[in-house]
Amino acid sequence: MRFAYPDPVTSPLLELRGLRVRHHLPLDDGGHRLGDPAPDGVDLAVRPGEVVLLLGPSGCGKSTLALATNGLVPHVVDADVTGTLTAGGHDVAATRPPLLAADVAMVFQDPDAQVVTGSVLDEVCFAPENLRRPPAEVLARAEGALRQVGLWERRGDDPALLSGGGRQRLALACALAVGARLLVLDEPTANLDPDGVEQFYATLRSVTASGERGVLLVEHDLDAAVEAADRVVVLDAAGRVATSGPVREVLAGRAEELAELGVWLPTTTLAALRLRAAGVPIDPLPLTPAELTGALDAVSLPAPVAVQEPDVPPVDRRDVVVSVDHLTVRRGGRTVLDDVSLDVARGDLLALVGANGAGKTTLAQLVAGVLRPRRRAVAGSVRVGGLDPWRADVRDLTAAVGFVFQNPEHQFVTGRVDDELAHGLRLRGVPDGEVVARVDDVLDRFGLGALRDRHPFWLSGGQKRRLSVGTAIVCRPDVLVLDEPTYGQDRERAVELLDLLTTLHDDGTTVVVVSHDMQLVAEHATRVVALAGGRVVADGSPAVLLRDDAVLAAAGLRTPPLARATGALRDPAWHAVTRLADLPAARLPAVHLAGADA
Amino acid sequence: MNGLGDLRTYNPLVKVLGPVPVMVYVVTTRDVLTPALVALGAFAVLAVAGRQSPRVLAAIAGGAAALTVVMTFSFGLLTDPALVADTTVLATVGGFEVRSGALATGLATAVRTVALMMLVLLGGLTTSGADVVRAMTQQLHLPYRVGYAALAALRFVPRFGHELEVIRGAHRVRGVAPGRGPVVAVRRQAGYVVPLLAGGIRHAERVSLAMDARGFGAHPTRTERTVVPFGARDVVLLLSFWAGAAACAVLAATLTPA
Repeated sequence: MRFAYPDPVTSPLLELRGLRVRHHLPLDDGGHRLGDPAPDGVDLAVRPGEVVLLLGPSGCGKSTLALATNGLVPHVVDADVTGTLTAGGHDVAATRPPLLAADVAMVFQDPDAQVVTGSVLDEVCFAPENLRRPPAEVLARAEGALRQVGLWERRGDDPALLSGGGRQRLALACALAVGARLLVLDEPTANLDPDGVEQFYATLRSVTASGERGVLLVEHDLDAAVEAADRVVVLDAAGRVATSGPVREVLAGRAEELAELGVWLPTTTLAALRLRAAGVPIDPLPLTPAELTGALDAVSLPAPVAVQEPDVPPVDRRDVVVSVDHLTVRRGGRTVLDDVSLDVARGDLLALVGANGAGKTTLAQLVAGVLRPRRRAVAGSVRVGGLDPWRADVRDLTAAVGFVFQNPEHQFVTGRVDDELAHGLRLRGVPDGEVVARVDDVLDRFGLGALRDRHPFWLSGGQKRRLSVGTAIVCRPDVLVLDEPTYGQDRERAVELLDLLTTLHDDGTTVVVVSHDMQLVAEHATRVVALAGGRVVADGSPAVLLRDDAVLAAAGLRTPPLARATGALRDPAWHAVTRLADLPAARLPAVHLAGADA
Repeated sequence: MNGLGDLRTYNPLVKVLGPVPVMVYVVTTRDVLTPALVALGAFAVLAVAGRQSPRVLAAIAGGAAALTVVMTFSFGLLTDPALVADTTVLATVGGFEVRSGALATGLATAVRTVALMMLVLLGGLTTSGADVVRAMTQQLHLPYRVGYAALAALRFVPRFGHELEVIRGAHRVRGVAPGRGPVVAVRRQAGYVVPLLAGGIRHAERVSLAMDARGFGAHPTRTERTVVPFGARDVVLLLSFWAGAAACAVLAATLTPA
């Protein structure tokens, strides 16, 4: 084999020229048709010491591009690929993906789906063993990699025992152990809680510090990624390069243009754009909370929009929809919920926040009757809409509470979109004429009318999510409970969903949403309850709670970016500003782009 | 017996496949004493050299005793009465005559089953799945892609268990086939298949991409960091299994009155 290495220090670790991918979409007759090209004609290079951030709206081919870097597209995932792709001096088109493992290492989105072995040490040794490195070298590499990500002490553990953040750091260690100089990270923090995200990026920084590795990073959470990245490549909806260049030049210099493309920007950049439109002279645009603080302290600030401190009477005076009374739940010898008491009043949009494993999902499932605990394992009680959710008849329960699962597919029980919506109504014996009217109304409101005869499993991710919310609200429940509806979803879909929830809430539905996306919580919730270790550690309005660093840190959470920036300002009137909506400007039309997946 | 040391350190193939000829022999026996001696012997080896906790050993012993009792009576009832018509009637239960011959047949079946169970546990409790795969690739030259793919698939099981639990809860709150009875239960279970399969296939695809990206299948062989040796002591263990079984057979024959 001959490798062309003109200059091993600066020659690119990855080079794409005119990369164009058309996926093979299976047809019923066993053949296939070609999908629209995405990416389409992309040139891109990653050099040693560089972190290149790849951005673009849903469907622009970011993940496809990532999978093409080591040939998984088209060698494993069928597609037509044109253009040239060189990784570590190899022509990727002519090399089987496993043979590129020493040059290109990948970290995928789902931490569960990349664990192959039964121990942390075996996991890290897996790739070097596949490449037939001698045992002593395998062990030495594994130890070095595990020490670098801080997991050497846990080498004997089953990877399943690690937190999500721990498993993604393990995936980084696997990449280090095999000695690959190019790391390709495909939304590595989408499934992590704020603590896990922070750990992951801290580790990534130490990994790239030596300057010999290069990183191609696909990431939606720009608040976390922007400080790690050196260069940005932005794709448009058609999969072509819209712009590229140094991070600051692109994100701050061309922010309006990117927002129009449907690319998410750092929260602080969005905030500055909004202020700029309101006449506050901010130049250059900030990318981080600290920069926003600096920029705002340097100008004379107008008064913020009066932050609406929720003007609510004490809970017990209002109409209580959900009442959790001294609830303690044990599972497998562990106390999952510990003496939780909580009343949710009609009209609340309550966010249940906390780190992974804090008990949020368990509490939500108990409220909705999804979990029916054994009498021995539980103390205390739950009432929802006047019913006991653990004993009530399903027909009554669907009128009291609707539950939206993390994975929408779990709750689909029929073969057609309209049947899916009609199911709950028919079960309750609603007359046929009214069923038709109510199903049509929901199809219409959620933009699913044209898809009514499709199988729910064949919808796109965003459509599935809308249908799952539709099935939960079609019976007009007193309260809608959602379990991490934005988990693993990209930013546009997450925003689309939360806008939908806000609309439902404005129409009078009580909403309880489990989430650890702090900025989304700040934007939409009227009340925040934080859980840690199964206990309620905080309960209050987002404006107050989300700038309490100590409480959030204790719950494994972080202050959302805007609150971090305003909290450090000299003008105390601005300390309560946690939401973009609190900023003095009209809402930017291009910021919240919905329906990008349609 | 103490000379055996730690059973966990022996070659997995010897522990898992070594007892197979003994199992075949046990299946062919018709008396009670031979399988009983084999079962006792296997349990003794497990207790002395298996490094199991007392709780596990107690559970095995208790389980074996309970299984013997239950099977003796249930198989005893299934025995063709004509075959044991000349033996004593011990009791009459609801028109059924329980004859001593029937119980003896039931007991023999029960003890054979317990002996087989003990022989399986001998290897099963002292060997990890990963070690069996390593030994199969190293000694039996099974292609590693098959073995390691099987191991990766085994790791899906707990995930599926959890996923099934969630789907079950989801379908219950949506009111799928509520009520009791076997027909409804079957309808309910059938409803879990599609979401479980859809999730399973997607997960399998992701895992296989992750494995490819990490060099799985790059070469016909891979480094075995953990060498599973097959040495003289393994041969000794194998021969002692067989010698022990033969001793049980001889002892049983000596103790049985002609």
